[in-house]
Amino acid sequence: MLQPHSLLWHYLWIGPHVLQAALAVLLWRRGLHRQFPVFFTYLVYGAAEESILYVMDVVPLGSVTAWWVVFSVGLIIEGLFRLAVVGELFFHLLRSRPAIAKVGGRLISCMSAVFVLLATLAAAYAPVDSHQFAIGYRATILQQTLYMVECGLILFLFLFTACFKLTWDKATLGIGLGRGISSSVHLATWAVMANGGLLQSRHLLDFLNMATYHICVLIWFYYLLAPQNSFATSAVHLPENNLDIWNRELERLLQQ
Amino acid sequence: MNLAIVIVVAAALALGIILRLAVSQSLQAKRSIGLAVSIRPIDIEAFRNLINPAEDDYLRRRLPANRFRAVRRERLRAMAAYVHVAASNAVVLVRVGEAAVASGDARVAGAARQLVNDALVLRRNTTVALARIYLALAWPNSGFAAVRVVERYEQLSGAAMLLGRLQNPAVPVRLSARL
Repeated sequence: MLQPHSLLWHYLWIGPHVLQAALAVLLWRRGLHRQFPVFFTYLVYGAAEESILYVMDVVPLGSVTAWWVVFSVGLIIEGLFRLAVVGELFFHLLRSRPAIAKVGGRLISCMSAVFVLLATLAAAYAPVDSHQFAIGYRATILQQTLYMVECGLILFLFLFTACFKLTWDKATLGIGLGRGISSSVHLATWAVMANGGLLQSRHLLDFLNMATYHICVLIWFYYLLAPQNSFATSAVHLPENNLDIWNRELERLLQQ
Repeated sequence: MNLAIVIVVAAALALGIILRLAVSQSLQAKRSIGLAVSIRPIDIEAFRNLINPAEDDYLRRRLPANRFRAVRRERLRAMAAYVHVAASNAVVLVRVGEAAVASGDARVAGAARQLVNDALVLRRNTTVALARIYLALAWPNSGFAAVRVVERYEQLSGAAMLLGRLQNPAVPVRLSARL
């Protein structure tokens, strides 16, 4: 074991990923994996990756360096999956709205470039004289970089839909909300770690990260598996009276 | 550490915005059951007159430069008010159309999809038009055309009328007030 951990620590580390695996199974059984293939793959991959890291930590398997190497490689792959999930959300929002698909695609490409640039600058300005374990320290900077891009893109996604008053379906909103909460909290905690803050209280930041992710998995359970309310599909009739009143008043005004 | 503070503050802001928008999105979906649609009709002819470049040329020829700038600014403010109404109508129609897309009637669903697309394009155009109007307020002598907003509004009006007739054949729906 690399470090002594409390029971709560063990639960928060592995618990959400066991739930994540269970969610993947339930999505498969309900056929939702066809609707959200990237998110489904992300769930499966994340559960497998964290299980391997957990076993390597608890058994222990290999050296500390080996653990961090596996962590870093897994992080890069997981980061790509997370960005692909954002792409999948965007696809779901725009596929039935060709009128803004083109402008939306252009905007998200521009925003991606902006956030990659910002994240690169933030990584470049991170302190280099850290006393931390080198590979572990680099991994924290990589985390900060990936979460900054992801958080920025999800924020843009929410602002874009709010600007055009687009309606999210329940599952898409749940995935977006979960990833939004996770990426913003993780961005803050990894930024503190990458910049050498709270050196003596790192375990608190780890607890915050793990607890947040646990909440996000529960959000996904609710939004993806709870039945969709019928209000989202009920037809709304166009106004009967107020248009006529407006027209009459406007015409009267114009005839004066 | 300063960088960390900046990133933490930015992340907290992002979290706040995401939570607020997600909650408002859920509430919006619930409110759509009894959506009190409040569409404000626009007098297309008056708006078209307001944005007519020939009118501006006439005023430019007839008025002294400082007086023309003042009048032009007034016209631009009136134009912005019209575009704001068109934008808010587009938002309402996006919600109306999206609620009707899932209708079992294929004709209603098709009309609703058309309405949503037209409303989204109008919403996009109004955003651009407003940006140009506010820019023109700073430089009143510059040329400006909002014709595309008018054309799109008329197209949207037609789509809304089609959906309205399909959903409720007895009631005429108008987005444009015409004399």
